[in-house]
Amino acid sequence: MLTRRNAFKAAAGLAATATVGTAGVAHAADKVIKVGMNMSFTGADAESAVRVANAAIMAFDDANATGAIKGYKFEYVKFDDGTATAGQYDPAQAATNARKMVSDKAFVAALGPQMSGAGKAMAPILSEGNLAIITPSSTNPDITDPKFAAQYRPAGKAIYFRTVATDAFQGPNMANFMAKTLKIKSVYVLDDSGAYGVGIADAFQGQIEKNGVKVLGRDRLDPKAVDYASVLTKIKALNPDAIYYGGVGQAGVKFVKQSYEIVPNMIKAGGDGVYSTDILKGAGFPSFDGWYSTQASPHVTEDKGSDVFTTRFFQRFGSRPDDYAVTCYTAAQVIIQAAKDIVATGKEPTRDAMQAAIQNVSLKGSLIGTVEFDPNGDMKNKVISVFQVKKNAAKPLDDTESQFKYVGVAPMS
Amino acid sequence: MTAGDLFLQQAINGLSLGAMYSLLALGFTLVYGIMELINFAHFNVFMVGSMIAMLVLQAFGLSGQQTILTGLPLVGVLLVGFVVSMVGCGLIGVFIERFLLRPLRNVKGPAAMITTIGVSYILFNVVLLTLGTDSKNFPNPLPPIKWEIGGAVLRMREVLIWGIALVLMGGLTYFVTYTKLGKAMRATAQDPEAARMMGVEVDKVVMSAFFLGSALAGASGMIFGLYYNLAKVDIGFAAGLRAFTAAVLGGIGNVPGAMLGGVLIGLIESGSGQVIGAAWTDVVIFGILVLVLVFRPAGLLGRLAPNKS
Repeated sequence: MLTRRNAFKAAAGLAATATVGTAGVAHAADKVIKVGMNMSFTGADAESAVRVANAAIMAFDDANATGAIKGYKFEYVKFDDGTATAGQYDPAQAATNARKMVSDKAFVAALGPQMSGAGKAMAPILSEGNLAIITPSSTNPDITDPKFAAQYRPAGKAIYFRTVATDAFQGPNMANFMAKTLKIKSVYVLDDSGAYGVGIADAFQGQIEKNGVKVLGRDRLDPKAVDYASVLTKIKALNPDAIYYGGVGQAGVKFVKQSYEIVPNMIKAGGDGVYSTDILKGAGFPSFDGWYSTQASPHVTEDKGSDVFTTRFFQRFGSRPDDYAVTCYTAAQVIIQAAKDIVATGKEPTRDAMQAAIQNVSLKGSLIGTVEFDPNGDMKNKVISVFQVKKNAAKPLDDTESQFKYVGVAPMS
Repeated sequence: MTAGDLFLQQAINGLSLGAMYSLLALGFTLVYGIMELINFAHFNVFMVGSMIAMLVLQAFGLSGQQTILTGLPLVGVLLVGFVVSMVGCGLIGVFIERFLLRPLRNVKGPAAMITTIGVSYILFNVVLLTLGTDSKNFPNPLPPIKWEIGGAVLRMREVLIWGIALVLMGGLTYFVTYTKLGKAMRATAQDPEAARMMGVEVDKVVMSAFFLGSALAGASGMIFGLYYNLAKVDIGFAAGLRAFTAAVLGGIGNVPGAMLGGVLIGLIESGSGQVIGAAWTDVVIFGILVLVLVFRPAGLLGRLAPNKS
C-alpha cells in the first residue's frame, strides 16, 4: 500500500514527467489531444493506480517525443475516483469525474477506470457525451453487454472499450481450471457485494456447475464488516474442496486472514481482485500462501518481447510493471493509433471521430497481440491467465510480480 | 463437524465478538448514564486505540505474525500494550470532555451530540492522514495454541480475550458499586442536582466517566487487533455501530445491560451468519433491536427513567 509520503513522491514524479512530456515537443503550432485518466489514486488500490497510470504516461510521452502525429501532441489529465471515506473507488466520485470530462469539449478520449463499480457509474454519462474510454482492468461484463445497452450506453454507440477480457470469461475459465486441472468436486462461492465481485462470482458459479462440481453454498460478504468467522465456520462444517471468492481487497484482506485460521488447508481462489498488493501487505504470509488468482490478460511481463517495455518502465518509475500496466500501456497505444488514423485522413480528432476510430482500430504487434474491438467494445482476443501465490523470500513480500507465480492459461469454455 | 460441534464453534465465535462489543458498549452506556449524551466520538476513540496498540507492539520490534513470544516477555508486552492504549484513549476521552463538551454542558438541544460526531470525524481524518487507509498487519505475538473440543477449535487468543473482558468488566462493576467515585457516578446519574447538593463534584464524575469509557474502548481496540491481526481506519464504524446497538439493546445507561447486550449481539451475529447468511447479519441484528424496543422501550435491563424536567 502506498504511504502518504510515497504517494506525494509518486504524484510529484508524475507532475514532473507531465511537464517534461509537454515541454519536450514544443512546436508552437501543435494542437492538443486531451485525454482524461480516471483511476483510484486514493484508497486500497492507489498503488496499482499509479502503476497503470504511469504506463499510459510512458506511451503518451513516447508519442509526443517522437512526434508520432504531426501537428498534434497528447496531454493527459488525471482524475481520482477513490475517496478516503470509501477507502477505495467511489462510484459517486467516478460519476463526478465523468461529468467533468464530458463537459470539457477538449477531452476527446479517456483511459480508465480500474474498477467495474466506477465504470458502471461513468459509462452512461460518457455515452451521453460520446466520449470513448478504454479500461485497462475493469472486467464486469454488464457494462459492455448489449442486454444492458439502455443502461450503460443510452446514446447507442459503444463508448466503453477494454484491453482486458471480461469476467464473463475470467470467472468461467477459472471454473474450468479448477474443475479440470485442480479436479475439485465441490466448492463454496462468496462475493463481496460489489459490482465486480457479484458478477465474477455469478459467472464462476454458472460454469462450475456445468462442469459437474457441486456448489455447496453461496454467500455475500459485507466489505465493511470485520468478522467473517461465522460464514467460514459454516464453510468448514460443509467441508468443500475449495472456496471461490469474487471480490477485491477491502473484504479480501480480512477474508484471507480469517480463512487461513479457520480452513487453512482448503484450496482458495479468486479473480484478479485478489491479485493485489493490498492483500499481500495487509494479510501477507503465511495467510495468503497458496491462493489462486487470475488476470484477464495474457501474461507477458515475463515474455522476451516485453523486456524492453519492462526495463524502460523500471528505469523511469523505479517499480516493475504488472499485467494491467501492460494493458493500460496498450490502451494508450490504441488511443494514439486512433488519433493517427484520423489525422492520416486529414480530419480533426474530435470526440465523434475518436469514438469511431477506436471502434475500428486494428493495433498490430502490441504487447498483448493484435487489439481489435467487437461492436460492444470488448476485445476480440480473450485470454485469462492463472497465478498462484508462492512465497518468494528473495523478493519484496508485497510485490505482486514476484509473489504471484504464473501457472498457465485457463481453459476456455 | 457435527451439528453440535458447529453450534459450539459458532458460540465461541459469537462470545469473542460479544466480549469486544461489550467493552465498547460500556463506554456508550457510562457516558449516557451520567450525561444522557450519546458519544459518537467513541466509535473512533476505539479505532485510535487499536492504532496506538499497534504502534506500541511495533515499537517492541514486532511485525506481522512471525515473532511469537511466550512467558514473561509476552505478558510484559501485552500489559504495556493494554496500559498504553487504555491510558492514551482515556486521555483522549478526558480531552474531548474537558475542552469540547464541557463548554456545551448547559446548552440545550443536540449541540453536544453533534459535537461528538464532529470529533469522531476529526479523529478518523487525523489517522487517515497520518497512517493511511490501508489494512495494517497488526503484530500478534500470541503463540498459536489451540484446543480441539470435538470438531470445534478453541484458540488461546479467544480464552485470553474472554479473560481480559471479564477482568475489566468485573473491575468496572466493583468500581461503580463499591468505590466512592463509583457511588458518586451513580448518584450523578440518578439526579445531578441533588448529587451536587450532597457535595459530589459533578465535573470530576463526568470526566472520570469519559476516562473510563474511553479506556475500555482502548482495551477493545487492542483486543480487536489481537483477534483479527488487523487495524484499519474504518473499523470504528463497523464495530462501533454494533456496540452502540448492544448498549441500546441491553438498556442504555445500564452497566450490566451493556455487557449482556454485547454478548447477545455477538451471538446473534455469528448465529445469523450460520443460519441465514452473512449478507443478512445487519438486517437480523437491527430487526431484533427494533422488536426489543417495541416491546421493551428501555432495553432488556433498562428501566424507564422518570421525567427529569
